[in-house]
Amino acid sequence: MAVLVGFWELLVRGGVVEFDFLPAPSGIAAALASLAASGDLLPPLLHTLRSTIVGWVIGACAGVALGVWLGLSQRAWRYSMASIEVMRAIPPISLVPVALLVFGFSLRMELTLIVYVGAWTVLVNTIDGVRSVRPELLDVGRMLRMSRLRVVRSLILPAALPSVIVGLRLALSLSLVLAVVAQMIGNPAGLGNALIRAQQALQPEQMFAYVFTIGALGVSLNGALRYASTRAFPALAAGPTDVT
Amino acid sequence: MTVDSGMPAATAGRRPASEPAETGDGRDAVVCHCRNVSVDFDSSEGRRRVLEAIDMDLHEGELVSIMGRSGTGKTTLLRVLCGLVEPGPGSVVTVRGQPLAGPPEGAVFVFQNYAASLLPWRTVERNVALGLEGKVSQEEIRERAAGALEAVGLAERAKDYPWRLSGGMQQRVQLARGLAMDACLLLMDEPFGALDAMTKTSLQDELQRVHREREPTVAFVTHDIDEAVYLSDRILVLSGSPATISDEITVDLPRPRDQLATKELPEFLQLRRRVYDAIVSDR
Repeated sequence: MAVLVGFWELLVRGGVVEFDFLPAPSGIAAALASLAASGDLLPPLLHTLRSTIVGWVIGACAGVALGVWLGLSQRAWRYSMASIEVMRAIPPISLVPVALLVFGFSLRMELTLIVYVGAWTVLVNTIDGVRSVRPELLDVGRMLRMSRLRVVRSLILPAALPSVIVGLRLALSLSLVLAVVAQMIGNPAGLGNALIRAQQALQPEQMFAYVFTIGALGVSLNGALRYASTRAFPALAAGPTDVT
Repeated sequence: MTVDSGMPAATAGRRPASEPAETGDGRDAVVCHCRNVSVDFDSSEGRRRVLEAIDMDLHEGELVSIMGRSGTGKTTLLRVLCGLVEPGPGSVVTVRGQPLAGPPEGAVFVFQNYAASLLPWRTVERNVALGLEGKVSQEEIRERAAGALEAVGLAERAKDYPWRLSGGMQQRVQLARGLAMDACLLLMDEPFGALDAMTKTSLQDELQRVHREREPTVAFVTHDIDEAVYLSDRILVLSGSPATISDEITVDLPRPRDQLATKELPEFLQLRRRVYDAIVSDR
């Protein structure tokens, strides 16, 4: 990483590559520092962080609840499977213009997209986790004469948990992607909008500064979720990778 | 997925209350009673009959092995006794006089695949406690789980996760889970089949000891003739297609049995020969 940045700096300074709007890393760092100092960085950063997390939480709750239901109920699954297979094939990005038309340039448009993508990702992974519980575990539940509620609580949900967590992590990254895209095209707020404005103002240093801020935000969100899930489920963190 | 299915299977064979399921000749009470049991499976070529006209009684405290070639339906028979497979029409299965409707109380299944039937996210003691939760008090759960782990010699591994233990230890955890339920009927499906020879013999002796101390009725499916003769009071041989019980061999070797002394007895060798012939003659 450091080598890469150094190489980039050398290329630009040495005049080896000459693009009008490709700044050197030192210039980007300076722009980032001045943006942070002037207080122009924090509001869009907080906006993006907030809408990503709020949208993700709503989407995740809906996705888990619906996913457990569809995974457990044979009938619900039969009736909804076809529509799910069709709907999941639509790239969420392609719904950005649709949301823009329906909701206008608003926070509602941004949040709707984030909730949508989060809910889908979590839903699909939760259904998958619940439905792929090993039959041996269900035999154990029957053999021990466990009630239906206990089978769900003590066997099916814990067995589906790793898959649900994968869904949650994917959903978080996608929520950030959709938040930035929505801000670039629709809702005039947040890092996506700031990025576009820097571009239109022909300020490449600032533009790259926003790009790297978005990247850092993505890495921190993912790290925070990973930490939280290992703290919340220590057995999962310590568990064998090859069992269930 | 339908955990709550498996409803009345053998209601056709409900016995009148005045006629208890006993042999009547003064022997021990019958724990498990099967008459004319058949099982059909749906396959791509339509229904296929796996078991037919199985008549079998398991008496209290008896250890009975079920043997036969691969694919004869030994496991299926065991699963019928545990209410995991529904027998065909006209089958009569009662456990302690009660017609079977789902998994019977006091029956515990020990699966061959221990890794898949223990919960990897629970510690050993919480795995053992699984079947007791919601049925007895917390304190009793702790006591019974601890007692069961003590009985299989795993008391000091209670806080470990099962996948940290060796295969033999994991199978002992599964046995402990059954003992904690105070099982009067242990249904063991090739429980030692996946273990190495040394572990296997030590677990056979472990089972023998537990059987002596707690006297459960045990139905034991195995491929291993030595193991069957060494452990059993009786050996049932399944053969044919659909399979039925083709032979029954009583093993009257003195107990307690010893891995070396018992296996050197001429009677042991004769029985071994006899069981081998019974299985191989199935053509």
